[in-house]
Amino acid sequence: MRITPAEVAALVLSIKVALLSLVFTFPIGLFVGWLLAKRTFLGKSFLNTLVMCPLVLPPIVSGYLLLILLGRNGLIGGFIYQVFGIEIVFSELAVVIAVSIISFPLLVRGIVTGMESVPLELENAARTLGASPIKVFWTITFPMAYRGVIGGTILGFSKSLGEFGATIMVAGNIPGKTQTMALAIFSAVHLGEDVSVYRLVFISTVVAFVALWLTERFTLR
Amino acid sequence: MADSPQIRLDFRKSLGSFILDIHCTLETKVSAFLGVSGSGKSTLLNCVSGILTPDEGEITFGEEVLYASASKINLPPEKRRFGYVFQTGYLFPHLTVAQNIRYGQPKPRKPSAAIDVLELGEFLQRYPRELSGGQRQRVAIARALAMEPRMLLMDEPLASLDTALKERIIPYLHHVKDAFDIPILYITHAFSEAMALADEAFLIANGEIIASGEPHGLLTAPSAMPIAQLTGVENILFLPVTLSDKTKGVTSLEIGDQSLVIPYTEAEVGETVPVAIRAEDIIISLEPNLSISARNTLRGTIQYLDVKSEATWISILVEWHHLAVKITHQAREQLQLKEGLEVYCVIKANAINRLWE
Repeated sequence: MRITPAEVAALVLSIKVALLSLVFTFPIGLFVGWLLAKRTFLGKSFLNTLVMCPLVLPPIVSGYLLLILLGRNGLIGGFIYQVFGIEIVFSELAVVIAVSIISFPLLVRGIVTGMESVPLELENAARTLGASPIKVFWTITFPMAYRGVIGGTILGFSKSLGEFGATIMVAGNIPGKTQTMALAIFSAVHLGEDVSVYRLVFISTVVAFVALWLTERFTLR
Repeated sequence: MADSPQIRLDFRKSLGSFILDIHCTLETKVSAFLGVSGSGKSTLLNCVSGILTPDEGEITFGEEVLYASASKINLPPEKRRFGYVFQTGYLFPHLTVAQNIRYGQPKPRKPSAAIDVLELGEFLQRYPRELSGGQRQRVAIARALAMEPRMLLMDEPLASLDTALKERIIPYLHHVKDAFDIPILYITHAFSEAMALADEAFLIANGEIIASGEPHGLLTAPSAMPIAQLTGVENILFLPVTLSDKTKGVTSLEIGDQSLVIPYTEAEVGETVPVAIRAEDIIISLEPNLSISARNTLRGTIQYLDVKSEATWISILVEWHHLAVKITHQAREQLQLKEGLEVYCVIKANAINRLWE
């Protein structure tokens, strides 16, 4: 009944990827969320649609599109391969990119909701008190949007932990390299390794539960 | 304030079909803009503060140009250093009173003098939600003062408070006026506030200034009747005290050869006190000696009638004071009121309010 090294690797990879994805997407999400919640500009609805797309597209389709873009012959992947000699697809980086794209709309949604709830009048009041737009953001908008931001972060992080469709398309299912928990469960079910499935499902549940519980603990104080 | 900077407002701003078109120069310490809601008062203040950008024109503060469409100058709000007190306070809910006040303070370590002037020392560690409406408004004023502004903009700072609270805040505004040597631009729909605080008043309607001048003269002139209707305002009279009887609870004022009884107020005989009477609180009678509880029956002559859709407005000359009276069309028809008719204005003593000095 011992947990296998492959299972440990999948668990570590899942958490690592979700955390890395959060590190990358959080600052961008904050900026995009602020743009969508607080600014009017040409192409706003286009940006909104673009960001939200992965939420409505089947993850497999998002993954396929990423595969085309990032592949050695793709628009972005080709360029990176030519310049740096790195191949993105079927790597750990591909997993990070896949889960980032899929979790991004959830993160942004939470941030936008939080920031929209901050009255413009309060931000204007801060401006008249001598605060630059950047100071207004960090002292008024961000702290007041706190709950929305935390909510979006929890949702995005949870989504990253369990992402399946896009990951398998663009990163494959390579044990010890790109095999996350979700992919490991898929493989185990496929191979009929019931005991492994139970263990993985149990671990996934515990990890998700602990993550949620910790955030609740820190936000509710 | 001889050396106070001249503020020139000369701009246009359209919002949908509404056009604000302002041309004036503020030279006194406290300038009040009076108007009903929708007259463009708040838009005016937002343009002055830099929150809104006018369509064209110029706004200058002393020698400094804050906004000029011709030379494409538009100083952002944070560079104007105008303290802005909003109608509903807009305190930052996630910050304590002390943090709110410190927010715009140039030297945040040093407690602001505004804390003492507005008597906020005991509330510093509280959050806005733990304060009453009046306390919140005092914090809002203190916050605007703590930033050491060059000018104070006040948008109906008392409108969200009830009458009792208003009267408690007014003295604080006087403290502010005396303790801080900066011009104040005060916006209100209440005659009484404008009279209590302002050195000069501007009447604003449909986005334009329709009259301006020294507030007492401007607001008590017969020409103010249409303005009275516009601002839904009471009559304001300045009358000398002839008798003050604390035990009976009444004070008598002299209005020409007649007298006006009001609830007891702390005043010396001979002192002039400002009183307000709402136009709908005056009853018109054709008979002088009615057996009723109302303490005042003033003889006067109807100057003119103005039949509006909602009611009839009458201007009655009592001695040399004009009283605006609002009655129903039905009452006008039954009493057959017309210009030149001698009538009696019946007013309950309790319907007459002394205004703060």
